[in-house]
Amino acid sequence: MTIAKYSLENGVFATSLYGDEWAGPDGDRLTIALLLLQSETPSTIQIESFVESLEYTPSAPVSSIIESTTDWKVVPDGEFHLISSNSSLIVGISKNDNLSQWPEVSSENSFDEDQKKAIDEAWKKEVSGVSQGAYVSQSQHMLAMPSRLGLLAQEDASVILWPPRQLNNEGERIPPVSNKLDNNASILTWTKLSALGAPSEFSLRAPLLGGVSTVLVEFSSGPKGVFMLADDENGVPEINQKVSFEVRRLYGQDNLIHYGLKALLN
Amino acid sequence: MVDVAMVGAGQTKFGNHPMGLKGMWSEAVEKAFSSVDNDCSPNMVEEAFIGSIAFGGSQLGNTAALLTEHSGMDGVSVRRVENACASSGFALRDAWMTIKSGQADIVVAGGIEKMNDLSAERKRYWLGVSGDTEWERLAGLTFPGTYALTARRYFHEFESTHDDLVHVSVKNHMHGFDNEMAHLRKDVSFEKARSGAMVADPLTLYDCCPTSDGASAVILVADHLAHQFTDTPIWVKGSGAGSDKLALHDRPSLTQLRATQLASQKAYSLANLQPNQIDLAEVHDCFTIAEVLATEDLGFAGRGEGGIFARNGQGRRNEGDVTVNASGGLKSKGHPLGATGTGQAVEVFKQLRHQVEPTRQVRDAEVGLTHNVGGSGATCAVHIFGRER
Repeated sequence: MTIAKYSLENGVFATSLYGDEWAGPDGDRLTIALLLLQSETPSTIQIESFVESLEYTPSAPVSSIIESTTDWKVVPDGEFHLISSNSSLIVGISKNDNLSQWPEVSSENSFDEDQKKAIDEAWKKEVSGVSQGAYVSQSQHMLAMPSRLGLLAQEDASVILWPPRQLNNEGERIPPVSNKLDNNASILTWTKLSALGAPSEFSLRAPLLGGVSTVLVEFSSGPKGVFMLADDENGVPEINQKVSFEVRRLYGQDNLIHYGLKALLN
Repeated sequence: MVDVAMVGAGQTKFGNHPMGLKGMWSEAVEKAFSSVDNDCSPNMVEEAFIGSIAFGGSQLGNTAALLTEHSGMDGVSVRRVENACASSGFALRDAWMTIKSGQADIVVAGGIEKMNDLSAERKRYWLGVSGDTEWERLAGLTFPGTYALTARRYFHEFESTHDDLVHVSVKNHMHGFDNEMAHLRKDVSFEKARSGAMVADPLTLYDCCPTSDGASAVILVADHLAHQFTDTPIWVKGSGAGSDKLALHDRPSLTQLRATQLASQKAYSLANLQPNQIDLAEVHDCFTIAEVLATEDLGFAGRGEGGIFARNGQGRRNEGDVTVNASGGLKSKGHPLGATGTGQAVEVFKQLRHQVEPTRQVRDAEVGLTHNVGGSGATCAVHIFGRER
């Protein structure tokens, strides 16, 4: 997705490249906020009003998602406020949480209004409906968040391990995550699942997006991982091609939205 | 140590079955016992191992007790064995170990799955939860996806193209055409298989096995009882099993199944046989690329030569050194997950006793192998059977 940024006297603001009416097929205020925070010098931030502006409840506390993904610290009396317009998808970082002035925005990418409506409706149905999706326990989601969102890896006998593991072959517990992987990796292989072949949790959106693309990548420090591709409407992946990662919506389940990293073709 | 013989084997037709769990299981057991040459009945069974994922969640708990209750094995010591698609391969191994250890003399191993009475969404849910749910599935992967990742990498690493997979599909449909137990009994041309609808690029519909209902059962006995039941027991000459990382991205190689390699090494060693001594192999071709990998990991083809093996038709019935998937394999015979492993053993039992349809008979079959893989390769059981003890 990446973002369009706007600086005003009262703060710095961002929208998706689609403008202030849509954040793309798997974006929202939170994914825009994370990219905006990553692009600014980290400090402390308050998020109360921002959390209230979110359309759906995230599966983990917003503070944990922010702190897993960025170097910002969420504190009640933080130096800055994370804010969002209730009437549009503009997100800002400001020292004032009651803004009267928002930026005039333009959209870099156009979008099909009908597709936007269909995808928004699919999310609504997916989040509120009875899920047939895979069940990953809430505690497992929380424990893995620094790795899932922040690419934090373990190190065991000089070998970098990601996703995190428990015991090594000697039966010793592998130390907690401490190394951050590069935000770039190289494609080892890829596939595009047709709507029929996609997992059930993506069954509503996959037909609208023409399927689900997945890449298996290798990080320069050794670990491999699988990621869904995002924003790949106009590109076909190739083996050895580089990708970078952004946090996006993964799927909705039990009235919650789960977030994770997706790969973008470089 | 005691040797183990297979004296009976039976299965339902695989496919979209009108019966439920109890009906399918009782039919498989009935056929298994009626295949024993001399008097043998379910109430003689001391232990039973039944492989099943309990697809759809129907009778998820105590499945095995329900099934034995309805198949004349009332009161038997029984349990469900679950290792995804390799469930009954492991049930067979557990049964073999039980007799080897001297704990029982007459043991039933079998498997069952009912997959075709669910909505498409529920079916896809159940097909996905044997993979790595925490990382792979949240990246959009189901098994077609993981095997598609493997296939594309295989084409990149070796001189192979999708056409090699088409050869596998065409061969297995040809083998399954005359198999009365097969789910998809249709001859498929190369052109048709090549132009199938894309499921997970580069895998098309003709690279994927069907989802089937079915049940299968075999009767194993200790050596001292074998000739009480038949003059032509089929001996379990070797059994091996192995495991690997659940997720593809955690494995060092994307184009080899370590679980297969470990399992087959143990089985060959125990049987004191080499791959070139196998006459027929029922291998786990849930996707055509899986058969290509299996021919390499089982030692029928060299590393990176599985595609060439398929291209040259080396696995075709009575054409190469080894007939691969004489039954039609999972691709044509069908894949009722929990029933597949012992279903493979049923085919080998009949082939080695020269009891299959004449058009399907592997000539001079003396030694057969079964290869049953769980999911994308996290588990694998390999068995080697022979007419000679």
